[in-house]
Parts: sequence; C-alpha cells; structure tokens
Amino acid sequence: MIKRLTIGQYRERYSFIHGLDARIKIFYVVVLGFLSFRLKFGLEMLIFSLFVFGLVYSAKMRLGELSKNLRPFYSVFIFLVVMYLIFSRSQIEKGMIYLWRFLMLIIISLALTFTTTIMDLIAAVEFFSKPLKVFGVKSRNVALMVSAAVRFIPVMFINFERSREAMSSRLADFRRIRHIKVVVLLMLQKMLKSASCLSDAVYARLYDENMEINKMPKLKINDYISMVAVAAFAVIIY
Amino acid sequence: MIQAKNVYFKYEDELILKNISLEIYEGSFTAIIGANGSGKTTLAKHFNAILLPAKGDVLVDGISTRKDELNARKNIGFVFQNFEDQIVYSTIEEDVAFGLENLGLEQDKIKRRAADTLKRLSISHLAKRNVNTLSLGQKQLAALSGVLAMKPRCIVFDEPTTMLDSRNKKSIMGIIKELNKKDKITVILVTNVLDDLKYVNNVVVLKEGRTIFNDKKSKLNNKILKVAGLYD
Ligand SMILES: Nc1ncnc2c1ncn2[C@@H]1O[C@H](COP(=O)(O)OP(=O)(O)OP(=O)(O)O)[C@@H](O)[C@H]1O
Ligand SMILES: [Mg+2]
Repeated sequence: MIKRLTIGQYRERYSFIHGLDARIKIFYVVVLGFLSFRLKFGLEMLIFSLFVFGLVYSAKMRLGELSKNLRPFYSVFIFLVVMYLIFSRSQIEKGMIYLWRFLMLIIISLALTFTTTIMDLIAAVEFFSKPLKVFGVKSRNVALMVSAAVRFIPVMFINFERSREAMSSRLADFRRIRHIKVVVLLMLQKMLKSASCLSDAVYARLYDENMEINKMPKLKINDYISMVAVAAFAVIIY
Repeated sequence: MIQAKNVYFKYEDELILKNISLEIYEGSFTAIIGANGSGKTTLAKHFNAILLPAKGDVLVDGISTRKDELNARKNIGFVFQNFEDQIVYSTIEEDVAFGLENLGLEQDKIKRRAADTLKRLSISHLAKRNVNTLSLGQKQLAALSGVLAMKPRCIVFDEPTTMLDSRNKKSIMGIIKELNKKDKITVILVTNVLDDLKYVNNVVVLKEGRTIFNDKKSKLNNKILKVAGLYD
C-alpha cells in the first residue's frame, strides 16, 4: 500500500532546480500552467514541451522515474483518447491539446515535488497563506494541517487495509453494504482517536498557533537567475 | 518537582481520579502502576496540563497547572501510550524540529540540536526516512527524540514497553534509565509490567482511580499488587 502512495516523492539529488527557493518554484508552476493555456497547436507546443523536458533534465529526474510516476495517469489518458476518437473525431486536434496540457501540468508538478522536500513545500504553503490572516485563517494552522494530512493519510490506508483483512479472515463479504459500513466506521473511529491523541501531543510540545516563525530563507543568486530565465521564456512564447 | 493535591477528575459524569495526592521529587525515577482502566494515563496527563483537575491542584515547581500551562509543558515532556500518533511530521528530522520551533529557537540551532538528539538515540540514519516505514521500536525512539530534544527536566513515559518485543523493551528501558542516571532527568514511568519496576525507586499504585500505595519501592509487597490486580 505504502509503495503505491509514493507518487512524486522527493529525491535527494543536487541540481540547480533542487537549490531553488520553494516559493519561487510554486510560483513557476502557476506561471507555466497559465502559459500552457495560451498556446496554440504546433510550434508553440513543441517549444513548450522542449522547455519542460529541459526542466526534467536539469532537475536530474530519470526518464524511468518519470514514466513510473505517470503510470497512474495512463489509464485516464487512454480513456480520454478513446472518448475523443469515438465521440468527436472532428475535434481531435483540440483534444490533443487538452491532453498535452494535462500531461505538461503533471510533469511540471512532478518536477516540483521531486526537487522540493515536503518540509520546504509546507513552509512555502505557510508563507502563501499568510495573507489569509484577514479572514481569520492562521497560517501556522494551515501548515500543521497539511503536515498532518501528509503524515496520516497513508496511515489511514494502512488501517483500512488492516480492518479489511481482519474482517475478511472472519469471512466478511465486502459486497454487502453492512460490512462496508463497518470497515468505514472502524476507520473513522481510529482516525478520531488518532486525531485526539495528536492534538494532545501537539499541545504537549508547546504548539502555539499565533507564533510567527520565519522559516523562509532569503532568495539566493540562483533564484534570481531562474527568474530571468522563466521571464524570458514567457516573453518568447507569449 | 510535581505535586498533586487532592486531585479529582471526571470524564462526563464518571469519576476517574479520586482524591489523589502525591509528590514526584526532582531526579527521582517513579513508576505509576495499576490495572487497565485504573486511571494511570489520566493521572499522567495532569502533570503537563493536558488535563486539568476538576477539583484539587497539580503544582509544577510550586506553580499550579491551572495558572500556567506553559511552565508545566516546558518542564515536563510526554511520550504517549500510542506514540505512533504523536509524530506529527512525515520524517523524524522534521518532527524533532516541530517542538524546537515551538520553543522559539533559531533554524540553525534547531538543526544542530535535532542532529545531536538523533545521534544520542542512535537513530541518525533514520532522520529522513518516512515515518510510516519505521518499525514500532523505531517509532518509539522517534517519538522520544521529539520530546527529548526540547530538553525537559522531567519525562513521562506512558507504557513505553507494552507494545515492544523483549529486545526493544530492554533497549528502551536502558535508554530511560540512562536519561535518569546520566542526564538527571526526572522520570515517571507508567506501566503494568512488573518487570520494569527493577529500574525505579518510587512506586505509586492506582486502583480504580485511588492511590493504594505511594512510597519507596522497597516497601511494596505482593499483597498490594494482588489488591491492585497486578499479581496472582
Ligand atoms: N476520553 C475519554 N472519555 C471518556 N472516558 C475516558 C476517556 N479516556 C479514558 N476514559 C476512561 O477513564 C478510565 C481510566 O482510563 P485511563 O486511560 O486513565 O486508564 P489506564 O490506567 O491508563 O489504562 P490502560 O492501562 O488501559 O492504559 C477508563 O475507565 C476509561 O474508560
Ligand atoms: Mg493508559
């Protein structure tokens, strides 16, 4: 189960992109995503693709890793292609663009998560959620919530698997709604218990939602260089 | 260092702790023992203000936990019975940093202290591993490192050995003993494993939310353990 949940995990390597500030990288993902929506079929697409593969290359992602991480999406792609072929052959060109965009966005996001630790990502999320203060959202709570989700969602799957196995070994039949209900309730119960323990533990270690911590380092020279590069690319393709 | 004075506590309407008074001395190694459901965890959670008494008072260095939670929590660390749930972050390294951030330390000091703590517990090689892939014994140490790094003067261990195999049991008890002897950390060990008592000097026995014994280990006898339901 755990093995299947490792999509887009951080790989510790040394590359230009690994060294960039997490905030900037998130910003680039947004910019590139936006750009990809403005492109037309043909040369622009080719240039963009080359740029993205340039990113993959300089992030030292191996093609094998990339294709392994894309595997969960293959079935979606194939499904979409088949749908276009059956239902709207006339719009196949448009369809290809959509698929291509989707693929590019996934690859760009993978390049982000491959080169950025979860810790840095969360710190960046905390940074970006600071303006939400006006709505009474505390950025530190946001960061804690994201961390806890990252930590405990796999645990949830493991618990689910355990309950399911335990019930199966006593001949439960998961085609029956009643049995499905029991596993789900069991899982919820465990989650609530974990959550209450987690909350105790967090306060036991002096958690204070109002504390302001500046975890983000100052931008470095490479960050500025990358900005120039991305800006130049945006201008060319726009 | 910790004093409980006529502490009562109830969940909903059920009285769980009944008139508990005890004292934990600086540098001591105290066991709190009792049968399942006797109120050990509930009592222990009073020491660092996770629970506040309904009646009575818990004092840490003479200050009531009611008045100053922070004082209690800074000085008293807690390794929970379900320590797996106590690890907030996905790697040990990040999780240790969590408590240190809350103490308001600078980033580079956090890094250094985290590294020292992991080395101390010989788990440096696990620093970056996903917590979900660790064994139970390793998770126990992970939870402990998050607490130990904050340098509390006292640590409560809630049944640290119940879920471990005998080798891990021995090794964690060895570490706890060393924390008490070498680092002079006051240790409160919540347990129902009588074997663990060989390490301690004071014992508190709980039965249905009351203390039926609270003294030096040498005065403990089988009759009391029998009454507590821990020996037959
Ligand atoms: N959150 C809660 N809500 C209601 N009742 C609770 C809660 N937590 C514990 N209790 C009840 O309080 C009593 C004492 O529980 P506590 O966990 O302190 O016992 P314990 O001595 O630590 O037991 P164990 O050895 O099983 O850990 C039990 O009867 C339990 O059912
Ligand atoms: Mg307990």
